[in-house]
Amino acid sequence: MRILLIEDDRETAHYISLGLSGDGHEICMAGNGREGLQRASLEKWDLLIVDRMLPELDGLSVVQALRQAGTVTPVLFLTTLGGVDDRVTGLNAGADDYLVKPFSFAELLARVAALGRRTPRLAVETTLTIADLEIDLLARTVMRGGIPVELLPREFRLLEYLARHMDQTVTRAMLLENVWDVHFDPNTTVVETHISRLRSKIDRGQSIPLIHTLRGAGYTLRVPI
Amino acid sequence: MYATLTGISFLILFSVIFLSTTRFMRHQIDDSVASEVGEILADSPGRSVDAIQGVVQALAKHPSGFYYLLQDANGAVRAGNLPALDPREGIREWPQVAQGAGSAFSALRGRGVNLPGAYLFVGWSTHQLLEMEEMVVGSFAWGLAASIALALAGGLIMSGRLMHRIETVSQTSRDIIGEDLQQRLPVTRAGDELDHLAGSINAMLDRIAGLMKDLRQVTTDIAHDLRTPLTRLRQRLELANHAENDTELARTTLASAVVEIDSILAIFSSLLHIAQIESGARRQEFAVVQLSELLATIGELYRPMAEENGQVLVETIEPVLMVKGERELLMQLFANLIENGLRHTPRGSTIAILARRAERFVCVSVVDNGPGIPQQLRGKVLQRFFRLESSRTTAGSGLGLSLASAIVKVHDATLELSDANPGLNATVRLEAST
Repeated sequence: MRILLIEDDRETAHYISLGLSGDGHEICMAGNGREGLQRASLEKWDLLIVDRMLPELDGLSVVQALRQAGTVTPVLFLTTLGGVDDRVTGLNAGADDYLVKPFSFAELLARVAALGRRTPRLAVETTLTIADLEIDLLARTVMRGGIPVELLPREFRLLEYLARHMDQTVTRAMLLENVWDVHFDPNTTVVETHISRLRSKIDRGQSIPLIHTLRGAGYTLRVPI
Repeated sequence: MYATLTGISFLILFSVIFLSTTRFMRHQIDDSVASEVGEILADSPGRSVDAIQGVVQALAKHPSGFYYLLQDANGAVRAGNLPALDPREGIREWPQVAQGAGSAFSALRGRGVNLPGAYLFVGWSTHQLLEMEEMVVGSFAWGLAASIALALAGGLIMSGRLMHRIETVSQTSRDIIGEDLQQRLPVTRAGDELDHLAGSINAMLDRIAGLMKDLRQVTTDIAHDLRTPLTRLRQRLELANHAENDTELARTTLASAVVEIDSILAIFSSLLHIAQIESGARRQEFAVVQLSELLATIGELYRPMAEENGQVLVETIEPVLMVKGERELLMQLFANLIENGLRHTPRGSTIAILARRAERFVCVSVVDNGPGIPQQLRGKVLQRFFRLESSRTTAGSGLGLSLASAIVKVHDATLELSDANPGLNATVRLEAST
């Protein structure tokens, strides 16, 4: 992916660009809001990573200006303290996702990957299929190898989110935010237990496991290679 | 100032007494003179001038305090011990000092009566009156002087004592500013305004000392709580540094170091979060939150974990409980209370979420049947970093309930910890929004 990083802190910028280029992305950097806005509107990008606090023009204004000009490039917003206000205003301004500093590489890479996939998938899908797992999004039913699997509503949402991001890493925080609308770290193994329950319903007795735990990063739904 | 006021009030009192006394005495003179005139006239048969002359002559021979004058129409003195006067009716004063009939008299006050072919005047010396006046003035002058002196002395003593007490207060304040926050202002037994003031200041000092103690405690606790993970981190990094040939070991060591750092960062985030909530600048942005649905979501989030731990999480939630607040904070509040319950109760325990409307309030209780918290420590568990001895070894930062308490405060709600016999009952009482 071609990513523009608008961040004034050199250390953080270096850290982010190292992490992303190591994952095969092409990173360009802008050190202030004005330059960032210019480059973001003149060139073509797959993703913009915008810091909240920027010299000359703050991140919020950059995102607002871009959205008003009709730019649909996905934006990942970086904020310092996980202030609820920052997150809400960022998302209202037109950002697609946010990350609170300090964050881990795993979290950053997972978010970037998720946003990169967002654009081409505008067509409405009614079924998601991975190997012999079929998810009917309208009837909200699941079949594994042709046999119906009974899921609780929340388990269905969990599986749906994983399936929509199949082959990608999905972090604990992403699941908490998107499945439960929980925006804090519960510090416990709540997500793990939900995943293991879902896994027991989807994968138990199957020769090919689909739900995988990526140590230190998160989870993924994919056909093992 | 005090003396001047005393002087003025004394003068007013003096004038009143002076005027009323002299008026009373003049009345007395007027009355006795009038009755003397009446008697003279009554003793004179037919009221003829000759008859009156006889009476007056007889009276004037024996000095009795009264002075008499009887003159005829031509102004010639017929009898009495006074020189001639112009014949004026009624009360009159006679200011000249005169000499007559061997007795000295100063000013006279008396009554003149015009009779057919004569003028009769009977007077009384105002000497007594003047003496009386002098005496009154004299005693008042002394009294005034004495009272002003007393007032001055009293004022000096009073203000001296006041200044002394204020000096004590400011000296103590300087000592407190200097170093000794344990000092307190002296409170006398007088119970006056200064004592009230000193009492209030002392209460304020107690509060400040308490806050200082808390702050010191928190600082120590932060240092203490961060030392352990930082020490572990240091050991791991050192280990990784030594394992240069073993890249796999170096990698896993670094990975675990990152986990360690994350836990340290989480403590800082929680502290900052608490501080941010406590600064409480968000109140106006509160919206109506459907608490029943929120609690159901949290219950559902934690139930699998509880079951995994061999605990039971049950909910009794009335439908449509609405409160004003910030959804995310409320979610964190109840999540913390439930996590607290799950974390500090053994296998086989039950944790119940009870939510109901009680008049103007919505009450949410998280009740467990675990070991509970001893009563004397219930206030303390809401403090930052406080952990019961028994739970020192379990996971957690000791910040969960402080965060809950901060969220409760910003919502103007209350959090009450009570005994569930056995176990802990944590009840949050929020004002209902409809």
